[in-house]
Amino acid sequence: MHELSMADAMVKTVLDVAEKNDATEVLEVTIEIGKLTMLNPEQLKFLLDVLVENTLLEGAELNIVEVPVEINCNECEYTGAANMDDSDHYLAIVECPECGERNVEITAGRECNVKNIKIEKEEGDEDA
Amino acid sequence: MHKIAEVEIQHDIMVANSKLAGKNQKILDDADVFSVDVLGAIGSGKTSLIETLIQKMDHNIGVIAGDVISKYDAGRFEQYDIPVVGLNTGKECHLDAHLVEHAFGDLPLDSIDLLFIENVGNLICPVDFDLGSHIRMVVISVSEGDDTVEKHPLIFKNADLVVINKVDIADAVGADQDKMVADVKILNPDVKVIKSSLKTGQGLDEIISSIETFMKH
Repeated sequence: MHELSMADAMVKTVLDVAEKNDATEVLEVTIEIGKLTMLNPEQLKFLLDVLVENTLLEGAELNIVEVPVEINCNECEYTGAANMDDSDHYLAIVECPECGERNVEITAGRECNVKNIKIEKEEGDEDA
Repeated sequence: MHKIAEVEIQHDIMVANSKLAGKNQKILDDADVFSVDVLGAIGSGKTSLIETLIQKMDHNIGVIAGDVISKYDAGRFEQYDIPVVGLNTGKECHLDAHLVEHAFGDLPLDSIDLLFIENVGNLICPVDFDLGSHIRMVVISVSEGDDTVEKHPLIFKNADLVVINKVDIADAVGADQDKMVADVKILNPDVKVIKSSLKTGQGLDEIISSIETFMKH
């Protein structure tokens, strides 16, 4: 259940940035989740919805963007998007689309990134 | 009047953990401590294997025992009169670099040269969290079923050493131990996979020599 600790860390990050920027309200939050993280976006969204109650984030639109997997193949030197031979991200097995080997280095797909937020603030407040 | 502003954050929690893990490894390197993150399923024999290695390996060993309630495993290690820190994760399903950094403060790192960090019994969540250890040793047993590797590919993909334990009871539980080895090799072709039994002693010398080989590099 590490969605809870991750969601908690995300909320703290966003609140910290929102407060430093004198936000009166947070309108949108965009989070990038790599397809290879052991995080279930639906569970994450549920927990975020619970954790933001009675905070500046309550009511904000939550965008969860899944980041596809990218690889460097150690067999044929292919670089780019990977083949995922299973649609369930928990069971994702990564292979090279060029040579089919699974001896690959994963270069993207493990993100858990609080990307940006859209906030409302008083006109005239200086940007932090 | 109100205005709308977009604020770029770009704070990756995985990267934050990885940075802390890098700091942890530097602390270990500065103290000449080699560290093994021991991952695996509940009941696969992680604690028993570490107990055996404590008795058989000629090193100054310390253990960080991570668990939801850690006092049981920590108590088992303490009977060998070695430095032990229990890490309670409470409701959390994995150790992270921050918790491990705190544990370092309670360990006499200068008098340890080999540190085992026993992770929470779980084949899923610990995958995402580097601790700063030098290698990851994944321990599974035949009694979990010979499809365990197929069902949990990522933990094997990221392993440096894989132990398939309790092979003495493979027939009794109807598990094909060679299939488990082959499944690991599909995911991680270069990783060393060792079939072991703590009851018969099979594979123990190989596990020890593998860890010692890593220690020399």
